[in-house]
Amino acid sequence: MSDFTDSFDSNINDALMWVSDNANTVFDAIRATLDAVFKSVNWLFAIPPYWAVIGIVLVAGWFLIGRTFAIVAAVGLWLCFMMGLWSETMSTLTLVLSSTLIALIIAIPAGIFVGLTSGLLKASDVILDFIQTMPAYIYLLPGIALLGYGPTTAMCATTLVAIPPALRLTAHGIKMTPNQFRELGQAVGMKPSRVVFSILIPFAFPSIMAGINQSLMLAFGMVVIAGIVGSGGLGQSVYDAVRTLQIDQAINAGIAIVVLSIVLDRFSQRLGNVRLGGRHG
Amino acid sequence: MNILKVTPEIQVSQRPIAIECRSVWKFFGNSGPAAIEAAKSGTRDKDQLLKEFGCVVAVADASFEVFQGETFCIMGLSGSGKSTLIRHFNRLIEPSVGEVIVRGVDVCKMDDKSLRDLRSKHMGMVFQNVALLPYRTVLENVALPLEVQELSKAQRLETSRKALETVGLGNWMDRYPGELSGGMQQRVGIARALAADPEILLMDEPFSALDPLIRRQLQIEFKQLSTQLNKTSIFITHDLEEAIRIGDRIAIMKEGRIIQIGTPEDIVLHPADDYVADFVEGISRLHLVKAHSLISASRVVNASSATAPTAQLNDDLQTLIDLSLKHNADEILIMDRGQAVGTITREDLLKAVRGIDCN
Repeated sequence: MSDFTDSFDSNINDALMWVSDNANTVFDAIRATLDAVFKSVNWLFAIPPYWAVIGIVLVAGWFLIGRTFAIVAAVGLWLCFMMGLWSETMSTLTLVLSSTLIALIIAIPAGIFVGLTSGLLKASDVILDFIQTMPAYIYLLPGIALLGYGPTTAMCATTLVAIPPALRLTAHGIKMTPNQFRELGQAVGMKPSRVVFSILIPFAFPSIMAGINQSLMLAFGMVVIAGIVGSGGLGQSVYDAVRTLQIDQAINAGIAIVVLSIVLDRFSQRLGNVRLGGRHG
Repeated sequence: MNILKVTPEIQVSQRPIAIECRSVWKFFGNSGPAAIEAAKSGTRDKDQLLKEFGCVVAVADASFEVFQGETFCIMGLSGSGKSTLIRHFNRLIEPSVGEVIVRGVDVCKMDDKSLRDLRSKHMGMVFQNVALLPYRTVLENVALPLEVQELSKAQRLETSRKALETVGLGNWMDRYPGELSGGMQQRVGIARALAADPEILLMDEPFSALDPLIRRQLQIEFKQLSTQLNKTSIFITHDLEEAIRIGDRIAIMKEGRIIQIGTPEDIVLHPADDYVADFVEGISRLHLVKAHSLISASRVVNASSATAPTAQLNDDLQTLIDLSLKHNADEILIMDRGQAVGTITREDLLKAVRGIDCN
């Protein structure tokens, strides 16, 4: 048995080496893409001064969610600034949003495809279960081997972790459209592609929104862990502080993480409550 | 209220045929040749077929014609195959055996584009559960069949608005389906089916989910609309009274097989077997029995009849009874184009009510 495990392990190692040696161009391309996305999202959040960002959160929170939340969020973010962690907070936010964005670009179309193809749903559920059950930081290791240290690796692992919730919920949302509406689309003379876009996707909309919400939150969780690979941001702050046993720094970073997670969660839940026109009958 | 009823026996057979079924069979499950052979030979019943071949016969040897402009009702209990059968006409389901001819073309031989054209321009379907898209306004829902055609948005909405007016819901066009009652939702469903002005309407138990009063109202409205617009309709129902009220001709289905096709009068007065006879037992004959089926030609029209009240060949039993009561007459003289053609006695009337054959 141990022989089998040994050869299994060495096979994986060899495979990794082979990929790392031979697929340089691919990984360079991946790194470049992730970098580009990161920089553009970063521009949105890191460039404006802190009070502008806090102001926007205050106003958006006030009108979209509620007065209490808006005030708590603004105060919390101001606290991040006061603790000297503003750029790290923005960096983490950037990481989360850009990873989720890439994840959604992959997950939603894939989810639609899986939802439409009858055999795939069960198989995809099994694969996604596997990905989600594996401890998240395992995804960091191949990242280090293939992409090196830095935010890019963090983004890669985060994207991977953020794909399953959105994919799964999109697929199920499509699948769950009552059969009468598929029949309706056909009876009215629609092409199959039109049935998907005009009828099935709008029906799946609440499910897709819930998927986006979950993806965002899972991404956030991952980004914090990704401090291990030098991701920058609050994840790194926590990791460094814990490593060097600086409790005060660790607590500061922890508070900032909590603030950011509350802000993200409430905004993305609000997104999940968006309804396409009128009441759902 | 007297619902206008044409005497189909004379006029319908001269109209062109809109839809035709030729020996249509539909099998679910195992539909291999052995199963089909066994089913066709009639040597095994439904349960045996299922056990031996794993085959369910949904429709068995359906053959009939639907004439243009008529309302053809298909009536049967749950599991009789009527919902399966109606889905053959727009090829939502394909027959295992047989042909379905719509507007002169076999639907199974149509290519995709022609089929889509057929569905969007020439056929409208109304579903039992209405199937209104909950996230669209009423007007946008009615416009759905028009989206497949090359029309501008303004044209689509204008046409839809007119269709809504036809069913009396013009004021509700910006509301959402959730805000409408069941009856109103189904009216929107009808407006949607009419939006592209198709010649053929497929109605799959459209009023079955509504309460009895609304159901009656919608039956009357539908009958008026389809006559006025000269639509060919195939109407599925499990309610024989509804079929009699609405249909020009009725087909009775049992376990996939069509047992009898005829006018409401035919079905009620001359049921083909005990199964149909059971169904029609409770049906009131007052509007279905006409004078022409009661007159005894052998009865001589004599002088004493000259004082009798007169009625026409086409007058129904209710009219005759009212006449008899009003004039306290034992005899009614029946006229056809000014000529006396026979008499009906009170005894004839009583027998007719009881369903006893007079001749």
